[in-house]
Amino acid sequence: MRWLLLIFSLLTVGCMEWDYGLEEDFDISTSERGLFICNEGNFQYGNATLSYYDPTTKRVENEIFYRANAMKLGDVAQSMIIHNGIGWVVVNNSHVVFAIDPTTFKEVGRITGLTSPRYIHFISDDKAYITQIWDNRIFIVNPKRYEITGYIEVPNMTSEQGSTEQMVQLGKYLYVNCWSYQNRLLKVDTETDKIVAELEVGIQPTSLALDCNGKLWTVTDGGYEGSPYGYEAPSLYRIDPESFTIEKQFSFKKGDAPSEVQINGRGDTLYWINDDIWSMSVDADRVPVRPFLDSRGTIYYGLTVDPTTDEVYIADAVDYTQQGKIYRYSASGELIDEFYVGIIPGAFCWKE
Amino acid sequence: MQSLPTYRFRGFILLICALVALALPTVAQEGQAGYAYRDGEHFVDIEGVSIVGNRPIKEIGVQQTPIDSVALKENIALSMADVLTFRSSVFVKSYGRATLSTVAFRGTSPSHTQVKWNGMKLNSPMLGMTDFSMIPAYFIDKATLLHGTSSVNDTGGGLGGSVKLATAPTESRGFTLQYIQGIGSFRSFDEFLRLGWGNDHWQLSTRAVLSTSPNDFKYTNRDKKVNIYDDEMNIIDQYYPVERNRSGSYRDFHILQEAYYDTKAGDRFGINAWYLNSNRELAMLTVDHGDDVDFDNRQKEQTLRTVASWEHLRSSWKMGARAGYIHTSMAYDYKRDLGNGIMADMTRSRNKINTIYGEVDGEYYIGSKWLFTANLSMHQHFVESRDKNIIIQSGDKGIVGYRQARVELSGAISAKWRPIDRFGLSVVLREELFGDDFTPIIPALFVDGVLSKKGNIVAKASVSRNYRYPTLNDLYFLPGGNPDLKSESGWTYDAGLSFAIGREGKYKLSGSATWFDSHISDWIIWLPTTKGFFSPRNIKDVHAYGVELNASLDVALAKEWQLTLDGNFSWTPSINEGEKLSPADQSVGKQLPYVPEFTSTINGRLAWRKWSFEYKWCYYSERFTMSSNDFMLTGKLPEYFMSNISLERRFAPRWADLVAKFTVNNLFDEEYLSVLSRPMPGINFQFQLSITPKW
Repeated sequence: MRWLLLIFSLLTVGCMEWDYGLEEDFDISTSERGLFICNEGNFQYGNATLSYYDPTTKRVENEIFYRANAMKLGDVAQSMIIHNGIGWVVVNNSHVVFAIDPTTFKEVGRITGLTSPRYIHFISDDKAYITQIWDNRIFIVNPKRYEITGYIEVPNMTSEQGSTEQMVQLGKYLYVNCWSYQNRLLKVDTETDKIVAELEVGIQPTSLALDCNGKLWTVTDGGYEGSPYGYEAPSLYRIDPESFTIEKQFSFKKGDAPSEVQINGRGDTLYWINDDIWSMSVDADRVPVRPFLDSRGTIYYGLTVDPTTDEVYIADAVDYTQQGKIYRYSASGELIDEFYVGIIPGAFCWKE
Repeated sequence: MQSLPTYRFRGFILLICALVALALPTVAQEGQAGYAYRDGEHFVDIEGVSIVGNRPIKEIGVQQTPIDSVALKENIALSMADVLTFRSSVFVKSYGRATLSTVAFRGTSPSHTQVKWNGMKLNSPMLGMTDFSMIPAYFIDKATLLHGTSSVNDTGGGLGGSVKLATAPTESRGFTLQYIQGIGSFRSFDEFLRLGWGNDHWQLSTRAVLSTSPNDFKYTNRDKKVNIYDDEMNIIDQYYPVERNRSGSYRDFHILQEAYYDTKAGDRFGINAWYLNSNRELAMLTVDHGDDVDFDNRQKEQTLRTVASWEHLRSSWKMGARAGYIHTSMAYDYKRDLGNGIMADMTRSRNKINTIYGEVDGEYYIGSKWLFTANLSMHQHFVESRDKNIIIQSGDKGIVGYRQARVELSGAISAKWRPIDRFGLSVVLREELFGDDFTPIIPALFVDGVLSKKGNIVAKASVSRNYRYPTLNDLYFLPGGNPDLKSESGWTYDAGLSFAIGREGKYKLSGSATWFDSHISDWIIWLPTTKGFFSPRNIKDVHAYGVELNASLDVALAKEWQLTLDGNFSWTPSINEGEKLSPADQSVGKQLPYVPEFTSTINGRLAWRKWSFEYKWCYYSERFTMSSNDFMLTGKLPEYFMSNISLERRFAPRWADLVAKFTVNNLFDEEYLSVLSRPMPGINFQFQLSITPKW
């Protein structure tokens, strides 16, 4: 009897679940405004997730890709955009860009064959660019066929320190910031897919925005102490895209780490993270003395501004290994809502 | 989805069920008549239980788990990570087959486990941890786990515990040779050769292991789906692919040369040299949609460890000295095919570590009641880390990395006192130096006492204060190293009972129960920064506590039948008790991620004549992957149970001793994960043949 008990206990416990079950049905109205949040997850752990927030009802749904598709989003969800009614989620270390229906969150296709994708930008319905890290090429893709159709090779850039990041377009020209161990912006002719100019700024420009005056803004992080590439005080730059020259430079303290320069819907106010949350008129001549929002012990990691209401959404990564929190503030800095999402919320995408 | 309490309750009940079942035969067997047992191929002597007075004075109050040579030499394909998974209560976190495997005691981190081989530290001075998948079990002759406080006897910094690994001379006369060939699933080949020669004074041995495999096991990947499109590129179907483990091949070669000389007049000399050459791909994640043909992700390591030792033994005192040298050269390459056959470097990292080691120790007995020991060890590290090659702003080449040298001294004195047979007291004081910084004194106090001679019931208790100094990467890694880090520190308390009963040649039953409680402050965690890299910080205070149970039984069931059972169970809450990092922090009061609350192992071995059947079983409870213990889909790894069986037959023709063994791993073909997105193999098989010629 005792042996039967032993054998029974051993044999009957040999089971583990690794099955995500059935796909869940979501049905978000096409006309509903909403906010997608890309939660990076931990590098090499494949626990990136996608969240959706309805600003009207204040309802949040987490792990929506997972729940809608019964599979994981992947490793490091870097960014998302919506183009022509399709959401494009760039999953960096999974080497994939997923196309999803933004109302059902179900996958409709995917682009693979990428090195280490960071951002996607649509030139037309048939052509998009995907920037990369650890690759000196911007990938040209046909999003309708989910195919890579070509490359834009960046001169004087090795794969080992390859880095092309965010993209903004003005007319036929696309502007790209090069971040990791780089110090430049690129100007790309989208008709010829050629780099036509480069502009040297400070060390490691992190992000890029276009204001209502048609001016580009970028903010550098200044590198880090001991870096062979250099270490300097970071700066916020205003750039004239046509002449591709620096018009203004606002310097920060050495050791500061500004990032995530964003613009509001009207394009007249800049926002960025530098420990606190800062805002500044695009016409200002100096950086404000006081921040828009103090940090309160938070670890701000992502930032967006509602293009319609000017409300500010800030992501707190907390300890980077638990659910991050999103704070929603009015344009005047009053807290409207707060909610938990996935691990390391870093990027946002508005569904208009 | 089941709730947390449901999971825990289920796991707990099943474990209790198994342990009760294990205990039953011992009760029933006590009254049975015994049989005579020989020390034959499959039979080990069932020794009489030691009387209490024979407890070594050196081990007063020590909580330790010795791993016997049967377990170490059970299978040629096993690494020390595999052995510890099934033979101890520690948590082995494996990133896959022949991939990084770390060991953590009692809810602490892998860097809180100090590891020594023949006295030398194996912990990487850069990372602080030890990769147990790189240690072939066939190269280890003695392995002992020192839990919590007990590690202070041997080393500092073992906030969780320490692992002592050692080689030992055989007692051979003349030439000996053993060859083992293992063939396993996924075209895995393991070859082992040992040549030996010995006489009254000399013992020479050469051991070599070669393990190779494409390691491309099949599994159903439920983390992603394959799309089927129509001509308009609409998805018309999706399915979970049956994939192979991609980019997971390995080729590990080890060779160990040993020479021992015993004067038979109280002096022993030894030289050990262990060279390893490893070439391992790093397997792709389950969520990777890249093509493995496009990428080469590979880690190569060459390490040479040499140590020379001398021991001088007298009736009441002993002294020894060791000197050694370690060289490690590691290369990590991540390459991408640009589409034209040219593999472009995405990451090209090179690390070199040179370590000079020296140690002296002594023991002095005053009668049978006092023992004094002293020990001083030195490790001088020279580290060069070249993590990235870049073109700097001037157009010249630059290297992201660091070069550092650091001396690490560790000295300890102890006094052990056993005034009467039933009571012992031990005090250890240890002091460590890292570079220019002394840690505070590391004190430890141990007591034990015999509560009952009948049943050999012994109570043990200990307390210690311990410190772990930051690693070189913690302090200097570029980018992110934090030179302002403080040492992690902790108080640990242990208390336990052990017993042993038996009758020579009939049965032996022993067991122990240990309660422990640790408070670790300034726990170092690497966190991302807003500049895109990680940096370590002293952020957590952790309360790790729990219970460890161990039971072992050798019993003669009938004539020529012998059963050996041993089991471990541990309950290890490891709770974050630090301050909230931000108002949104939900991690305070929660179990640390990737630390199972329950672990258990059971090993059973049934021998009959030349046959032997073995069953190995282990259990890890659910592990949270988030510090807030969220029950999101990505927030946990389900519990898993692993069962391995093997059947062995010995043959003894005139020309050789032969042993044939067939093993089934993952008997129930579990789909399981030890770490998120890292696939593990399902059921797999291995056959090995051992040949020992008779000269």
